[in-house]
Amino acid sequence: MTQAPSSTSLPGRLWRTLTSLRLTLVLLIILALVSLVGTVRVQVFDTAWFLVPLGLFVLNLTACLIRGLPRAVRRSRQRLTPAAALELPERARFSWPESLNPHPGVEKALHRELGPVQKSNEDDRLVYFWERGRFRPLGPYVVHLSLLVILTGALLGKFLGVQGSLSLNEGEVSQNFVSAGKEKPLDFKARLDDFQALYYPNGAPREFRSDLIFIKPGQAPQQAVCRVNDPVTFGGFTFYQSSYGHTVGLEVKNGDNSLILEAPVGRTVELPGGRAHFRVLEYRPDLVMPGEQGGPGKRLGPAARLAYWEDSNHHPWIIVLLKNRPELADQQPGPYRFFLKDAKFFSVLQVKRDPGVWWVYAGFILLLPGFYLAFLRPTERWALVLRRKPSGGWDARLLGAAPRAREAFQDRLQRLQAILPKGGPA
Amino acid sequence: MTSQILGGVTLAYLIAGLLFLAALLWSAPRVKSFALGLLGGALAAHTLAFFARWVASYDQAAAVAPPADYWAWLQLVIHQVPLSNYYESLVFFSWCLACLTLFFLHRYAETFLGVVGGLLASLTLAYASLGVDSSIKPLMPALKSNWLLIHVITCFLGYAAFGLAFGAGLLYLIQALTSRPKTPGPPLMDRLIYRAAVIGFIFLTLGILTGAVWAETAWGRYWSWDPKETASLITWFIYAALLHARLVRGWQGRPIAWLAVVGFAAVLFTYLGVSFLLPGLHSYLN
Repeated sequence: MTQAPSSTSLPGRLWRTLTSLRLTLVLLIILALVSLVGTVRVQVFDTAWFLVPLGLFVLNLTACLIRGLPRAVRRSRQRLTPAAALELPERARFSWPESLNPHPGVEKALHRELGPVQKSNEDDRLVYFWERGRFRPLGPYVVHLSLLVILTGALLGKFLGVQGSLSLNEGEVSQNFVSAGKEKPLDFKARLDDFQALYYPNGAPREFRSDLIFIKPGQAPQQAVCRVNDPVTFGGFTFYQSSYGHTVGLEVKNGDNSLILEAPVGRTVELPGGRAHFRVLEYRPDLVMPGEQGGPGKRLGPAARLAYWEDSNHHPWIIVLLKNRPELADQQPGPYRFFLKDAKFFSVLQVKRDPGVWWVYAGFILLLPGFYLAFLRPTERWALVLRRKPSGGWDARLLGAAPRAREAFQDRLQRLQAILPKGGPA
Repeated sequence: MTSQILGGVTLAYLIAGLLFLAALLWSAPRVKSFALGLLGGALAAHTLAFFARWVASYDQAAAVAPPADYWAWLQLVIHQVPLSNYYESLVFFSWCLACLTLFFLHRYAETFLGVVGGLLASLTLAYASLGVDSSIKPLMPALKSNWLLIHVITCFLGYAAFGLAFGAGLLYLIQALTSRPKTPGPPLMDRLIYRAAVIGFIFLTLGILTGAVWAETAWGRYWSWDPKETASLITWFIYAALLHARLVRGWQGRPIAWLAVVGFAAVLFTYLGVSFLLPGLHSYLN
């Protein structure tokens, strides 16, 4: 057996501090306060302000686990024996006359109140005994262990996991995704066949879905539908529907030169030569203008609004393009003429691989029996000791304890006290 | 229809709460059993209203996209559970309060619980019907999940249990100040605070876990420091501190009552503060 460090030496004091509840309470309060700051400034969770108390909290949990678990295991392996039952505190005392044989009535009463009871002869005494919640001491340790498992999963995810995003136009195939600003390869290809945005009659969004095809060399292509709340897993990565937008097809003319460009809404595009830039700000599949005096609206067809600038010091011009009115291009500033050709959707998928998730889930599942043992399964022990009186008849002592369920214990004591002296249920 | 029933329920909770108060002040057992019956009846009507709204919500969604087969029908029924906006959450919070009050009354037969629970439930419901938009909105894509049901139910049962612990804690502190007789002795109230806090803690934990699993399946992150997540973690820390102080250190009485009050402030911050002050997935704005 290892010797516990003495309480005055430095390691001894350190150990006592690490296993102290005061440290736990202080850390819980610090973590709560730092988190309060974190509701407004999320960055705080990546700083020492949060990570140091969290690390100490993990040490505290581990130390308490090391200190208390062996004892809890020992205690929960000790079944209630007749000898141990006789040591329980006495709660009531009564006797029966010679004329009454108490055994059948008592057994019936105990069985009705407690369930099956054990019986044993000790010298001249007969002991009925019963226990529940023997494993209760393990409860808190199971809970703490599951918290450590969850935190382990979080660490694994942080250091071994990959997160990024994949943006695909309809019809586009890609073998890379972007993670932390860098391109990362996939060992398969992903193609977006179709994207749909569906709406309720009142205009609120109803569903966003991407129809994907995954192509792996040597395998049949696999179709998959990715929706919000309904991700797709392929080749070790999980894809989540996260955003979408339009990609606008433009024809750009400069004198006799003509150029076909694809510009996703919101992204800056550089024109050949490097001096002029533009960005599509908005795309409408069908622009509707209000009709005169509340009459039916005027439908102008597909429309786009873009910002165009010639060098970064200049203010941009805002240009409106109508697909059905190409002649308006003559009013555009600068040497370029923009024409709206077509548009399609692009879909943004979150790409993720997190080896820690199963640890986290395992911790979640372990937490449930932990809570059950810790809170819903208090230890309760009873014993009824019968002894033959020298003068005939029987003496009885009722013993019992339930340190963490006093109310239930008292109720049961009252019921047993009412029924046992009468020799069992009527 | 639903709003009329809920109006009646609000009134019934209020009257039940006041009757419990009368029963407490004049120790009248018959008034108490009448109040108990009234609370039970109101809870039944409340349950009915909840299911009526569920049906209405389902009908509205089925009119847009009728389910094709049995599984689609079941899916739509689960998705349309009326727990998806602020109004519905308040109605359900009030239901949880009344339900847990009845449960605790059954276990402990303490009249003051009826006062606390009845008045809190009535207040919540009155605020829901007077101050909040009650129209049934179509469900946004982010909430279309089987996890919505279990996540919201566990969270709100937790909130309601913390509400009762708060009520008991407040009464304990007031009583410690004035020491009026007739109200139950502090040891019992102290145990009630602890019991309610345990139930709340279990349900809050389940709520956080189901939320994490949902977030993982929906967005690929089981934890993303969304303000609501952070606030619920703060609440969890506070009640964890309460349970440790009580179970390991044996703290009782006033410090535990204070922790129950502070903890409920954190619950309110989680439920209302975050939803209205800070943007995020859980915001009730728009």
